[in-house]
Amino acid sequence: MQNLRRISQGIFLVIFLFLFVQTESKGNDILGYPAKIFLDFDPLILTTTVLSAHTAAKAFYLSLIMIVATLLLGRVFCGWICPLGTLNNMVGSLKKKRLDRAPKDWYRVKYYILAFILASSVFSLQLVGIMDPLSLLIRSLSVSVYPLFNYGVRAFFDTVYNLNSKGVVDISEFIYSLLKKSVLSFQQPFYNQAAFIGALFFLVLGLNLVEKRFWCKYLCPLGAFLGILSRFSLLKRSVSEGCTSCGACATVCQGNASPDKRDDWRDTECLYCWNCDDICPQNAVSFGFAQKKSAAAMDLGRRRVVTSMLSGVIAVPLMRSIPLSKSGFSQPKLIRPPGSLEEREFLKRCVKCGECMKVCITNGLQPTLLEAGLEGIWSPVLIPRIGYCEFRCTLCGQVCPTGAIKRLELKDKMKVKIGLAMIDKGRCLPYAHATPCIVCEEVCPTPKKAIWFEEAKAKDREGKEHVLKQPRVDLELCIGCGICETKCPVLGQPAIYVTSVGESRSKENQLLLS
Amino acid sequence: MDRREFLKRAALTGIGISLPGLGTVIHQLEASEKIDLVVARGDSPSKITNAAVEAMGGIRRFISRGDVVVIKPNMGWDRLPEQAANTNPEVVATMVRLCFEAGAKKIKVFDRPVNDPRRCYVQSGIANAVKALGAELEYMDERKFRDMSIKGEALKSWPLYTEVLEADKVINIPIAKHHSLAKLTLAMKNWMGVMGGSRRQIHQKLDESLADLGLVIKPTLTVLDAVRILTANGPQGGDLKDVKKTDTVIVGIDQVAVDSFGATLFGMKGSDLGYVRAGDKMGLGTMDLSKLKIKRITA
Repeated sequence: MQNLRRISQGIFLVIFLFLFVQTESKGNDILGYPAKIFLDFDPLILTTTVLSAHTAAKAFYLSLIMIVATLLLGRVFCGWICPLGTLNNMVGSLKKKRLDRAPKDWYRVKYYILAFILASSVFSLQLVGIMDPLSLLIRSLSVSVYPLFNYGVRAFFDTVYNLNSKGVVDISEFIYSLLKKSVLSFQQPFYNQAAFIGALFFLVLGLNLVEKRFWCKYLCPLGAFLGILSRFSLLKRSVSEGCTSCGACATVCQGNASPDKRDDWRDTECLYCWNCDDICPQNAVSFGFAQKKSAAAMDLGRRRVVTSMLSGVIAVPLMRSIPLSKSGFSQPKLIRPPGSLEEREFLKRCVKCGECMKVCITNGLQPTLLEAGLEGIWSPVLIPRIGYCEFRCTLCGQVCPTGAIKRLELKDKMKVKIGLAMIDKGRCLPYAHATPCIVCEEVCPTPKKAIWFEEAKAKDREGKEHVLKQPRVDLELCIGCGICETKCPVLGQPAIYVTSVGESRSKENQLLLS
Repeated sequence: MDRREFLKRAALTGIGISLPGLGTVIHQLEASEKIDLVVARGDSPSKITNAAVEAMGGIRRFISRGDVVVIKPNMGWDRLPEQAANTNPEVVATMVRLCFEAGAKKIKVFDRPVNDPRRCYVQSGIANAVKALGAELEYMDERKFRDMSIKGEALKSWPLYTEVLEADKVINIPIAKHHSLAKLTLAMKNWMGVMGGSRRQIHQKLDESLADLGLVIKPTLTVLDAVRILTANGPQGGDLKDVKKTDTVIVGIDQVAVDSFGATLFGMKGSDLGYVRAGDKMGLGTMDLSKLKIKRITA
């Protein structure tokens, strides 16, 4: 059974990684791969989204399949499918001796985390993405691990390339071109907080060295959610009279389910890894349907559960008593991707998975830190100095699993305003320095350009008169895509920049009388 | 002239005299060499491109067996062919086909776009058109830009794409479009697409910079695509009302001449364009159309 399980884990991990790498433009309008499908199957995200937003993207109803599967087979997802679980397994195999340092009842912690998340989502706060294992994994890979991988590989091949030794370079360039066609990204991605988000991820992996599958046993809220469901599962583990209480099973249990305690084991913690069945010298362990239930009652402690839920409730006003909640206040740098819902509704759905940042064609979508409040941490923000919003691209809306970014038709996307550009006359070359420059107008993508010129005469230091084209922004036409800011030759602080005012999604954050 | 060359020529002349038929062929070739520009008009982009190259003396005049050829279209924008922001894919494909027919060993097609390269290559229609013919369509590799001495008026040196300078033959296939600073972007401005570094700075001295590029990049042949031209909101357009169908290609060796003629499509003169004037003054080519032998054909 162990080998079968490993094969299953391997297959799902490969599918997951394949889809991850394919979450990248090939130049066509449609991505062509179901990049977000793992998230679609996540019933915890479905639950919290329905609780917070009272609706959920249609694709999420696929996760009902997972609920049914868990009711039939228990936590097979954790043991056989979850890509983060598989990675935990792999890292855990580096730890040789089995020595459970964490006290046995730490397994309850994940249920408290779940209670906190669910309670806060009832009051419209969507925090699930921070710790949902799939969100966490996709975000960490997108923003940190994949950029790291690309950087390392590129640095290696660039070094070899610069050796200028003909034969070696021919070989290395051949391998490099194969890698570029398969696993490397089109261009080196760069993200704010790559190191921070990466450190958290490596911490999760590193905890396996403290105890194997530490995350799965003690922290994972999805594991807790499925654990509760698995209490009702039809597939059950049973131990026959032949058991000699040798304790062999306890040493291999992936879930810390106390399998050696015959009538007192914790069925919610069982990952259905089958290790106990495999190892039992008496062959006393078996899994089967319609067996008698023989597990301990779930004892989480009522007070602790209530405390966790109350904390979740209190977190809502705590996170919201910030200026961002004040009417008429807007964060100018919080430029959301095109198709994003109004900010409140956006935050009720966004699970910070980072799919949009991974797919963003210009690398302009970056994770926030506190720009959108603590509640919006790691949600996407466009930073035009890094990359602009490509006029005819709709990929972020295509990969968003929750509909926080709506999927837009191309013709609609081209009309969505995500902000407005304004000119800093003190830095703009034709205004401040009598020097020609038309770059912002040249790159402006609207069919009738949102940037136009007024011709003006200006003298230079020698008194020579120049006729200059000074750019102006037509606020009716500007969509805030930010390409003018990205390409502005005034490096550092740009001479033209975008802020969120005027964004289509907001009623309040407007400038023009309409 | 070394001895071997002398013998070859003597032999050829001998054959020329002894075979009257071949003599006229050579005569025709000499006549065609004097044509400075061919302007071909007609409904089919591939037909007029073929006919124009033929009238210039045929592709074999420019491409030899075994050549590594760089073809540089304009595919700088995430736009569709009918929006006339990128070179017509049929014109590019026709040139690829002709070069392969002349025995080119390898044909490389690339540009350094302003928008995302993947989208520009695909949406322009050029990726599909030339890949099917076996040309190499690669994204530009940052490592292959090398700082080149230019010694021009505005550009002393600049990082340029080495594959252009290392190729045996280079064919420039720009599209004729409106541009707010240069007024028009035609052949000479298309070479911005092989500039590395922060090329946006050259707008500060655009006309001089474009002429300076002509000091180091000397294309074998220039094919100006004016099947559709963009008359306003260039260089990327987006509004079909700004697109005018002129069903024309202009072929020549002298880029200054090609651009000078290109200006007439927009009701301008070559001398209205600063970089054409600068190129003429620097002796890169001839701006005065009355001094040129222009052959007009329809196909």
